[in-house]
Amino acid sequence: MPITFEHVSHTYSEGTPFQYAALKDVNLDIREGKITAIIGQTGSGKSTLVQHLNALLLPNEGQIHILDRVITAGEKPKKLKSLRGDVGLVFQFPEYQLFEETVLKDVAFGPKNFGVSEEEAVEKAKKALKLVDLPEDCYEKSPLELSGGQKRRTAIAGILAMDPKVLVLDEPTAGLDPAGTKAMMSLFYELNAKYGKTVLMVTHDMENVFTYCDDVVVVEDGSIKVHTDAQEFFRDSALCRSMNILPPALIRMRDMLNEKGFAIPADVQDLDALAAYIAKQVKSHE
Amino acid sequence: MNNFTLGRYLPMNSPIHRLDPRAKIGAMLIALVAIFFPAGWTGYGILFAVVAGVIVLSKLSWGFIWKAMKPMMFMLFFLLVINILVVKTGNVLVMIGTFGIYSDAVMQTLYIAVRLLLMIMITTCLTATTKPLDMTLGIEDLLKPFQKIGVPSHEIAMLISIALRFIPDLIDETERIMKAQESRGVDMKEGKLSERVMAILSLIVPLFVSAFQRAEDLANAMEARGYAPGEPRTRYKVLKMERRDYILLLGSVLLLTCMIWLAYFA
Repeated sequence: MPITFEHVSHTYSEGTPFQYAALKDVNLDIREGKITAIIGQTGSGKSTLVQHLNALLLPNEGQIHILDRVITAGEKPKKLKSLRGDVGLVFQFPEYQLFEETVLKDVAFGPKNFGVSEEEAVEKAKKALKLVDLPEDCYEKSPLELSGGQKRRTAIAGILAMDPKVLVLDEPTAGLDPAGTKAMMSLFYELNAKYGKTVLMVTHDMENVFTYCDDVVVVEDGSIKVHTDAQEFFRDSALCRSMNILPPALIRMRDMLNEKGFAIPADVQDLDALAAYIAKQVKSHE
Repeated sequence: MNNFTLGRYLPMNSPIHRLDPRAKIGAMLIALVAIFFPAGWTGYGILFAVVAGVIVLSKLSWGFIWKAMKPMMFMLFFLLVINILVVKTGNVLVMIGTFGIYSDAVMQTLYIAVRLLLMIMITTCLTATTKPLDMTLGIEDLLKPFQKIGVPSHEIAMLISIALRFIPDLIDETERIMKAQESRGVDMKEGKLSERVMAILSLIVPLFVSAFQRAEDLANAMEARGYAPGEPRTRYKVLKMERRDYILLLGSVLLLTCMIWLAYFA
């Protein structure tokens, strides 16, 4: 069951001097079981877009289909709670939502809200904490004692413990060190590959988009500018640059080589293939 | 939560916006005093005309003023009910069984309503046309004479401006945390008592943590830039009274005299 937006518009503070149209007539079709990256500049409407996915924000106009539910503008949504259980939304800097006495209790908070028994919630919490690879001796610590990266993982575990079908992440790697970023992205990749979760993520990191994502959605000024396959997207680096998006290092390298007289085709998109091409062309030149 | 009207600054370009905040605060205080003289309907008519003129000059919309009034409607209704029950003088307007509604009750409520309306109009004129930071600068200057008797005018102004500065941030933060917890299945609006306690806890704890964090960051940032309370400082923005500011003050004093005259000598 795909996720679709049909003519969705969202305006903040409508009817006041602070009125601001964040989404304008958005039509979007998210593929199920894939990892979709949502990119765009600050203030383009990415965060507004993802908050519609679990009905935290409701459209002013249009209709959204999520799993088996329909959210229509002007109507009060039904089955809100079960929707929020099915679509797990991780906010930017989610570590600010931690509040319980211990890490384990905090992670178990989500499942308990959805009516799961105490023991089962703790079970789910432990499973989620294992997924995010948090050391076991942290479970009984206060979340405030953890390091920044550990807090982030705890907060994400809090959402994973709800076992959502769709995972939505708003800049999940912002402020993490390279190793933390890699671990986090591998986790989302694994959740998608092994557990079949549909993953949507807002990100500014093109390396992550390039390495881990299937689809790319570019949001600009409240509208969908591009929606395509990720490999397809980076094939044409001129398009990227025209939207002020710096292509990933590998693509930049390929472009630079081509500028200097190499002839590497656009479908060369991984390191080994690039190396092989360079070797071949250097050899043939000699 | 973004629907506060009372006390909100509206960025616009009008002659009233450009006035010196000290003059505006002074004029507001004088006008507020003027309202409380029993000058009768002529007096209120004049006051209303003057305030309406200022509102037109400041380019504020009447809808905005009306929105600021709305929360007061409830209070006015209660006042009316209490007045009807308590005040038993004047002519009987309506008899309901043995219970009479007297003209003075209605008149008194009307008086209070008009005074409240005028007060809100005047204060909205000030807050909607003066940037919060300018307002604190004005307050600091107006409190300066009291420094001799130990009033820390600069610290008070700094406190107010920091508090004002962080209100929108804290509102945003509250909204953000609320949404984050709602995503985890918290129902902020309904539920059993124990669930609601949990819901509020899940909001308050992170809010406190981040507020303290912000306070510490701000204190460090201020210290790093050499801020020391009580030391003499220069200002980036120097307030200067101009002719139009004196005209405003003069006008408000005239208005006050007029009200006193209407109340006691006419």
